[in-house]
Amino acid sequence: MPVENLASIAVEEAVKLGSSYAEFRFEEIRTENLEVSDGKPGLLSSNLSAGFGVRVLADYAWGFAASNTVSEESVVRAARQAVEIARTSARINEFRVKLAAASTAVDKYATPYEIDPFSVSMTEKIEYLKLLDSLMSKQDQVNSTNSFMNFRRVSKYFLSSEGSKIEQELLQSGAGASCGVTRSRHDRSERSFPSSSGQYKTKGYELIAELNFEDNLGRIAEQAVALSSAKDSPSGTYDIVLSADQTSLQIHESIGHALELDRVFGSERNFSGTSFALPEHLDKLQYGSSIINVTADSTIEGGLATWGYDDEGVKAQPRDLISNGMLVGYLSNRETAARIGRSSTGAGMADGWWNPPIVRITNVCLKPGDASFDDLISGIDDGIYMETVDSWSIDDNRENFQLGCEIGWEIKGGKLGAMVKRPAYSSNTLDFWRSCDGIGNESLWDIWGTPNCGKGQPSQNGRTAQGASPCRFRNIKVGS
Amino acid sequence: MLGKDQILSILNEAVQSSPADQTELVFDGEEFSLTHVAESQIQQNLFHDDSVIVVRLVIGKKIGIASTNKLDVKSIRAAIDEAAKIASFQEDDPIFESLTKSPTAQEVKAFYDDTAGYSPTDRANAIWQINKIAARQNLKTAGAYRTVTNTVAVMNSLGTEQFFRGTQAELSLTVSGEAGRAGYAIACSRDVNQINPGAVAERAVDKAVRDVNRMSLPSGEYTVLLEPPAVGNLLLFLGFMGFGSGPFVQHRSFMAGKIGLEVAGRNFTVRDNAYHSAMQGMPFDYEGVPRQTVALVTDGIAEGVVSNSYDTRMMGTGAESTGHAHIATKSFTPYPKHMVMEGGNASVADMIKSVKRGIYITHFWYMNYMNPVKTMVTATTRDGTFLIEDGEVKGAIKNMRMQQSILEAFSNIVMLSRERELYPQFSVKMLVPYALISKFHLNEEVA
Repeated sequence: MPVENLASIAVEEAVKLGSSYAEFRFEEIRTENLEVSDGKPGLLSSNLSAGFGVRVLADYAWGFAASNTVSEESVVRAARQAVEIARTSARINEFRVKLAAASTAVDKYATPYEIDPFSVSMTEKIEYLKLLDSLMSKQDQVNSTNSFMNFRRVSKYFLSSEGSKIEQELLQSGAGASCGVTRSRHDRSERSFPSSSGQYKTKGYELIAELNFEDNLGRIAEQAVALSSAKDSPSGTYDIVLSADQTSLQIHESIGHALELDRVFGSERNFSGTSFALPEHLDKLQYGSSIINVTADSTIEGGLATWGYDDEGVKAQPRDLISNGMLVGYLSNRETAARIGRSSTGAGMADGWWNPPIVRITNVCLKPGDASFDDLISGIDDGIYMETVDSWSIDDNRENFQLGCEIGWEIKGGKLGAMVKRPAYSSNTLDFWRSCDGIGNESLWDIWGTPNCGKGQPSQNGRTAQGASPCRFRNIKVGS
Repeated sequence: MLGKDQILSILNEAVQSSPADQTELVFDGEEFSLTHVAESQIQQNLFHDDSVIVVRLVIGKKIGIASTNKLDVKSIRAAIDEAAKIASFQEDDPIFESLTKSPTAQEVKAFYDDTAGYSPTDRANAIWQINKIAARQNLKTAGAYRTVTNTVAVMNSLGTEQFFRGTQAELSLTVSGEAGRAGYAIACSRDVNQINPGAVAERAVDKAVRDVNRMSLPSGEYTVLLEPPAVGNLLLFLGFMGFGSGPFVQHRSFMAGKIGLEVAGRNFTVRDNAYHSAMQGMPFDYEGVPRQTVALVTDGIAEGVVSNSYDTRMMGTGAESTGHAHIATKSFTPYPKHMVMEGGNASVADMIKSVKRGIYITHFWYMNYMNPVKTMVTATTRDGTFLIEDGEVKGAIKNMRMQQSILEAFSNIVMLSRERELYPQFSVKMLVPYALISKFHLNEEVA
């Protein structure tokens, strides 16, 4: 039976049993993973996962059931199970779940791409990864190399009891390369490109050429070698400039997660924590300096969190989170948005058919400023420029953090100087963003995909993105 | 849920139909239920089932991997064809020799009807009990109560055939109240009847009640008393960084070149033991190799690492797989999943009494590597951090950030408790004691 018919059967069954709201989501997820390590192909695999989930609101509580068995009998069973589960929850709950209003949609959406990566032969992909490996291995002292490509196509069908009927196809591509120099058991340096987790976008195979590995991996390998004899990063208070990919992680950890409205209301209290950015701070909290403007926008072409509709059927839309440094919005789904009297920002996403949607970081973007890279550096007399994520940790209230980078350079008298290894910095979220006095311009801006964001119980692996360019921060603690 | 005979029949038919020189099929199934609580309300309540078949084909010395969760004959056939196509794109792997031919693993009792049948109503009743206990102290609850049934079968064309079905129940709880006071507790078992929701709640509440008027302590070296979850956080990362064959053969592990040498204090002993009565672990790996119990560190001396068959060949003559391969679709290097750390002779009360001035830590949050070869990590304390003074747990303190070499910490163990607790994190279970550790590096934080 076609999925559309199964969807109708499931939703009708849930409504018949008394659900005030019901939705059905079918997904077929095809992935392809390729890796070349130390010159030879490593993991090559192709994977298919298909199934459906039924989510219902009954007696003002949620229930969800999902299965990989896609049949009439199975969808009816899941609908009944979801209603039973919701009713059980309702016995405990005093709080009544209400949903913010959302427009219904009957629509089809697909992320744009030029070359279907699943149509490119594995031979071509492997040969390209071997080429990347050879570019890094030209440096004799490089003794470990790795390059990878991942492709993912998600085909979705969504039907809600409110009348939304949405088909989507999301195509995501990712790739990256890294190399290491080990001089002794205690002395190892590593460099990655374009970032330590590669780069992921909603694009096709054309992304691989756009990343321009061939012009960069020689430099990256040289840096790995040079790092092994570079001096340690200094400790103290310095002005710093972060590369765009590092700024992206900073946005992810200290803006994106902090502004997930379910977390703000305590839903992650037992796992990934809470947030200092409480609803009473909305429109009052100076989150950053006046040049900080942050939006959540799943319409941006190429963002890893780009889609037509979220998994609650809410249309993708640009929304302000921080304007001129002021907190003005949250990432929300329909349930959490209703609690602050606003509409959903369309951030309700599940990591697959097997889980219900939760509030996720979407494409959270720091708007570019007007500074060139030289402008950012020349404004510092004694500081450090840091590049490429290496280590990260932030407390469970999203306030105090410590992040480290693979590589850095001293800044002396407004110019880049000596290379330093593994610089780390720590600060408090508000102090940090308020200290930002320079943001790179549009030519330095990119949207960085994060394919492995953990959140939720059950744990869900979200795919998020952050738009960023290099930024300058004043008086930051450097070193551990 | 498919039965053993049905699953083995599906795998056998697929193995027989494969055109490859060697064929391996893995069935990996799960029935998963979870109730998620926050603000003392059930926020998510769900069930899902899924079954994946992973095909690994060998053609000459080329390997192809494909998976599908569609279990009909046509879809499995398509996965076999896809794996064969992938293998044809591969190069010969000079290290790979063959799939493994393994004897049937010993049976482990890991399935409990009561866990498999634990219903949403059962979980809701437990949450009701927990909420009641927390409400007496004006505390809100947040937590997750999950029950899972896992089924894994491995079959290959060399005659290896393994089957395992096990259940798992896990309850984790954070209670919190005004001014950020909080307490955490966790319990897990194959048998849901071994989990006492009331006891878990009482333990978390006890911490939160004492977590008031947090004071700041300056950065420095402290004597710390770590609860089992905090010890588990450290052990987990140590396992990732050094107890697997991948970093060992690449000389990236702190164990490389150190076998037979001292790497930690004489009172630190840990082994990977899936057969321990607290673990009841799956007795074979995803290649069908029976799991061995592996001594990792004994009395502070590095003993060995866990491995899969591929890494074992790189390790050279005489080495054999310890039965720790992951599923073929993952490129993760092996790591120990059932770590049993030896305890000591002390009671927790005696450990506290012995401390002139120190810090009591419930668990750590957001641990991450700073320098893997030096086993340096960073994390913050969370949900119950207290000052110990003159042998008594005194007031609460603000969370602090640790920056610490794990091996250095396990070289500075002053005392270990007799009492041990099972602590799960990610896919790893650890049986760990309380540990009193000196010279532990903590930095001041303001949360």
